[in-house]
Amino acid sequence: MNSAALSFDALQEAVEKLPDGRLAASRRAALEHLRQHGLPTTRDEDWKYTDLSSLVDIGNQSIECDSDRSRSPELERQIESIKRSIEADWLVIANGLIDDRSVRAFDNANVSVSRLSDSDAELEYRAPLSDLNTALLHDGLHIHINANAGLKRPIGILFIDDATIAAGMSQARVEIAMADNSDASIIECHSSLGSARHYANSVVKLVLGSGARSNYVRIQERSQHHDQTGRLSVDVGRDSEFNHCAFDLGGGLIRNDLSIDIAKPGGRTAFDGLYLIGDRQHVDNHTRADHRVGPAESQQEYRGILTGHSRGVWNGKAIVHAGADGTDAAQANHNLLLSDKAEIDAKPELEIYADDVKCSHGTTIGQLDEAALFYLRTRGLSRHDAKQILTRAFAQAIVSKSPIDAIHGVLSEKIAARLGELMGGATM
Amino acid sequence: MLQIDNLKASIGDTEILRGVSLDIGAGEVHAIMGPNGSGKSTLAQVIAGHDDYRVTSGSVTFNGQNLLELEPEERAREGIFLGFQYPVEIPGVNNAYLLKAAVNAKRKHQGLAEIDAFEFLKLAKEKMALLGMDPKFLNRGVNEGFSGGEKKRNEILQMAMLEPRLAILDETDSGLDIDALRAVAEGVNALRSPDRAIVLVTHYQRLLDYVQPDHVHVLSAGRIVRSGDKSLALELEERGYDWVREAAIG
Repeated sequence: MNSAALSFDALQEAVEKLPDGRLAASRRAALEHLRQHGLPTTRDEDWKYTDLSSLVDIGNQSIECDSDRSRSPELERQIESIKRSIEADWLVIANGLIDDRSVRAFDNANVSVSRLSDSDAELEYRAPLSDLNTALLHDGLHIHINANAGLKRPIGILFIDDATIAAGMSQARVEIAMADNSDASIIECHSSLGSARHYANSVVKLVLGSGARSNYVRIQERSQHHDQTGRLSVDVGRDSEFNHCAFDLGGGLIRNDLSIDIAKPGGRTAFDGLYLIGDRQHVDNHTRADHRVGPAESQQEYRGILTGHSRGVWNGKAIVHAGADGTDAAQANHNLLLSDKAEIDAKPELEIYADDVKCSHGTTIGQLDEAALFYLRTRGLSRHDAKQILTRAFAQAIVSKSPIDAIHGVLSEKIAARLGELMGGATM
Repeated sequence: MLQIDNLKASIGDTEILRGVSLDIGAGEVHAIMGPNGSGKSTLAQVIAGHDDYRVTSGSVTFNGQNLLELEPEERAREGIFLGFQYPVEIPGVNNAYLLKAAVNAKRKHQGLAEIDAFEFLKLAKEKMALLGMDPKFLNRGVNEGFSGGEKKRNEILQMAMLEPRLAILDETDSGLDIDALRAVAEGVNALRSPDRAIVLVTHYQRLLDYVQPDHVHVLSAGRIVRSGDKSLALELEERGYDWVREAAIG
């Protein structure tokens, strides 16, 4: 596949049709960037295992028919149900459009929410797929959290798409600025409905001020007909803290990029993730931590459970730039393959150009522990139940690390339900 | 209750049990002793149903049923309990969860309703008090980060909750300090009853000071070479296993 597959005439037309305003210049520049560079292909090292051709098809189709963005009652119901299940102050982006009601209803003296089209900031579009995102962006959200504010409730950001009527493509963008010494929990939730195809492309940027702390959980539970590429970029401030946990429970073709930039000393970052992948699903997690100064920490653990004919990709990269002494970077990736048709491509990468650093990485790929299975069976549990219990326990390790305690229960339930589907049959 | 007749079992191409015969009646406590590598643990694992071992001949009958036809979980639900020499650590599975799941699996098999949550907790705390276990162990991962002694107490706790008809304790005394050994022995003694049999697999006679066996058997090179009453254990302690080995050969 190459960029020629994108229909640039249609793209150009689509970009021109978007509301004029402050975003117009960024859109045009991004389209130009996209025209020159194209979308990533499997010839690019970072995209070797994830082929975007099928997404390009959806994109072309949806641009040509300028898909319907009106909201169905089913969509409203799903939005309400998600909002009810997770305690947070919610902002909603539905079909790539900002939900004004959620912005108006958002009430927190320490947080201001505005549209990107109301700000003067130029949108970054140079990362892969950020150009596509910027070029076709209807509008995005800017969230500012005041200095020294400690938010009691998490901020929830729901990205939801409805492909009930027709295939579609949506672009969503959120920029979050956390001022010095602020403390906030953020929940990014991706969901979808409908049986037509859909491709969602999101870009989130988080900037942490000095001494700020963000506890961040991403939950992706899209329908299995629906594809997603998502990028989260984090600028880590001096002595700030970023604790992140990602849960990929659904989706068809999913690619997540998490990029962490440590340019000020004293940052502590932990980013963990869990992916549950079944038949015909493809989930790719790429992480990258750039340590430009020390001391700073980046610790990550991703775990995956794969069943059926599925494929998972994990690539964790840490780059310790020259002079970043005092860096402590650890990467771990553990996978349970429960089917002989499942495939995982796991690759830890460390590039170290500094002297005084502590770095480690480890990857495991295996099956359930037979000794533990036998132990549980001697206690009267069937082989099926014992497998489910051990698999859930494997996943639970990531839930326990997830930094927002209040949603551990919801996450455990979602994971148990999904594992029940993946492993067949109800659990005890 | 349990009849083992000329049982032979192998792992891979190595024959470990070379014709074991043993008759265990309800209400009895048997000790199976023997040197390292004599096949004690293998015998325990074969009775529990471990599929690494291949039974090549002989039979094992439990209350008239052919045990070798049953899956490990079916044997457990019929009332066989194996206390592991090396209890497995299962991080992420809560101790209370496993206990409850095990109790309920058995109750379901018996056609009983699931145990009530309060009743379960009350029972578990009662048994833990008897074993000198802190109730906080209920909320920890199964054996996760437990010391050797804590793991063994946890095995006895599971046994106490499951009230098996036949309990086989594989080297439950190994690695225990004197307090843990006493607690474990008390747990075992509390379970002695006319309708239950207990098999203690052990290397040393230390545990037998606290739990008096009715019968003592010496296993050597995959065969029972000597059986007797508890005085046999004392004799072994004094004279060592070489004595039985020589006696067996001679």
